[in-house]
Amino acid sequence: MEPLLAALLGALKLSAKLILIIVPLVTLFEVLRHLPVFRKAGNIVEPAMRGVGLTRDAAVPLFTGIFLGLAYGAGIIIRVAQQKNLPDRELFLMGLFLATCHSVIEDILIFAVIGGSGLAILGVRLGLAVVLTGLMARIWKPA
Amino acid sequence: MIEPGAPAVEEQVPDIPTRIRTGLSAGMQTSLKIIKVSIPLYVGVTLLKGTPVLDLLGKAFAPVMGLFGLPGEAAFAFVAAFLLNLYAAIAVIVPLNLTPFQVTQCGLMMGIAHNLIVEGAVLSTTGARGWVLTLCRLVIACAAGLLLRGLWLLGGV
Repeated sequence: MEPLLAALLGALKLSAKLILIIVPLVTLFEVLRHLPVFRKAGNIVEPAMRGVGLTRDAAVPLFTGIFLGLAYGAGIIIRVAQQKNLPDRELFLMGLFLATCHSVIEDILIFAVIGGSGLAILGVRLGLAVVLTGLMARIWKPA
Repeated sequence: MIEPGAPAVEEQVPDIPTRIRTGLSAGMQTSLKIIKVSIPLYVGVTLLKGTPVLDLLGKAFAPVMGLFGLPGEAAFAFVAAFLLNLYAAIAVIVPLNLTPFQVTQCGLMMGIAHNLIVEGAVLSTTGARGWVLTLCRLVIACAAGLLLRGLWLLGGV
């Protein structure tokens, strides 16, 4: 009986930690996401996006995915991709970037909470995403 | 500074109290969904730890996991991450008492490849080839894992 209680207690502690991360994060995002700052950020990152073969049209779905993740950001990613009629090449490049580097805030927080190094995780993911997507953009030339 | 010809993708902007309420309730719903999965997993793995089952299965996976500097038992966490999500994965990781490097390694590899079924479907609906990208994620996760292990062995990170 005692091991079961200890396990339950551990599980509850972990659950409490998770709630403390998720609820404020989601709330903060809901409050902030309509701010114009987010749209302006598109101008600043445009040169960087061109480096990995992406245009401004991909900015909203790309950043939604990077910060929110694929499952939660799905609504926005799918809608914008269809509305902007992104070409196949750009969809693939964006997908490749997001496959490597998405949902960074949440992912890193939860692993930092259980003792991982957030900086190492972020550095390797971002670095790999830029290198891979940049490489692919040079292999798959725009039509 | 709104780009010319910006399409009407912006939704109607609700007021701040509404946004806070939306956020709190969405956050609680998400948390509950996650906790329903993570509590049984955490308890299950903790109880299994006292039996030879986890040891045996851990030994079976040790060669693969060892490539990334992880113990064989971590394979369970990968199964949970691939099929479910990171919350399920950490519910498995915590009772395993991994080192900080190992937790970081799991965070890196699982951060890239998790929730493959649901997210593969999302990637497909954008018109990008979902299964190709899912395969890419698995390959990239392994590459990232080897890279971090290499950096770690070099004494960096």
